[in-house]
Amino acid sequence: MDVWKEFDQNIITHSAAHHLMAIDDLVQRLGYARVSDVARLLEITRGSVSISLKPMKEAGLILQDENKHLQLSPVGQALVDSIKTKRLLMKRLFTEILSVSPEQAEVDACKLEHLLSDESAQRLVSFMRFVDAEPASLRALLDAWQRQDPTCDHEPGACSTCDTGCFVQAVARLSGRQEDPA
Amino acid sequence: MSLLTDESIAAELNRLYAEEVEGAIRYQHLCAAVRGLDRLLVEKVLRDGVTETLEHAQVIAQKLRSLGHVPRLEITLTCPAEPLSAREALRQALTFEEAALDAYQDLLRKVDGDIPLEEFIRSQIAVEAEHVAQLKELLSE
Repeated sequence: MDVWKEFDQNIITHSAAHHLMAIDDLVQRLGYARVSDVARLLEITRGSVSISLKPMKEAGLILQDENKHLQLSPVGQALVDSIKTKRLLMKRLFTEILSVSPEQAEVDACKLEHLLSDESAQRLVSFMRFVDAEPASLRALLDAWQRQDPTCDHEPGACSTCDTGCFVQAVARLSGRQEDPA
Repeated sequence: MSLLTDESIAAELNRLYAEEVEGAIRYQHLCAAVRGLDRLLVEKVLRDGVTETLEHAQVIAQKLRSLGHVPRLEITLTCPAEPLSAREALRQALTFEEAALDAYQDLLRKVDGDIPLEEFIRSQIAVEAEHVAQLKELLSE
């Protein structure tokens, strides 16, 4: 299977996900959402919002009444709930388990929220349930991780993790960060 | 009397400025993306759209300057590489022209009592409404 093509097969784009979440957010806060409110919240033009909403209306994700008030259809709402939950789960994974800064965790979760499969998300829920139910086990795991020698000799041949080259160097190539993530 | 402060009027006009500049770019893209014989039908309408929306943007920029502000432009725009029929191009143009008309109408309600600004916005609404009517007419079966 051409795995890379899966990205294009995603049910909605990143931009569409944010339009849907903006409508959800506005309806929860104000009780209504208009194109102008969505445009202001996303800091884009009304024209842009109207063009973006059109295919989502045609796909039955968004409903618009005679007063031009927008709301999510049951399918649109289910999609937003799923995306928001995936974002929350990933933020928790990044901050609580991987010790990523909250700011970076927010950015990364935002980038991934609409792309994560339901299967992976369900496993993540299961893992976070374990984490919440067994805090001592998690603490022991994290302590063991911290106790491990954090240095990296950048010698993939002698490393049990890196088989195609030094992973630390590979993931830090663009940002210039060279420290061991542990 | 107007419900808006001078700064909020500038912010609203900057939003309209962005709507118009973005509209001009969208018209340009629609014109470039229409394929086949359909080009013969709508090329002129779309090219006129580029010119007219840019003129609207210039009018708003002038209004901002006359109020003592420097126009601020913030747009984020991606136009996909998809071939369009004449009808689809006109539909898209109608979508963003209606959005611009709504934006002018909303602002008119907020500037109630500020006669010069009211008159300015009314004249813009008249022009935008004419555009929308023209596009609807072209799209009618």
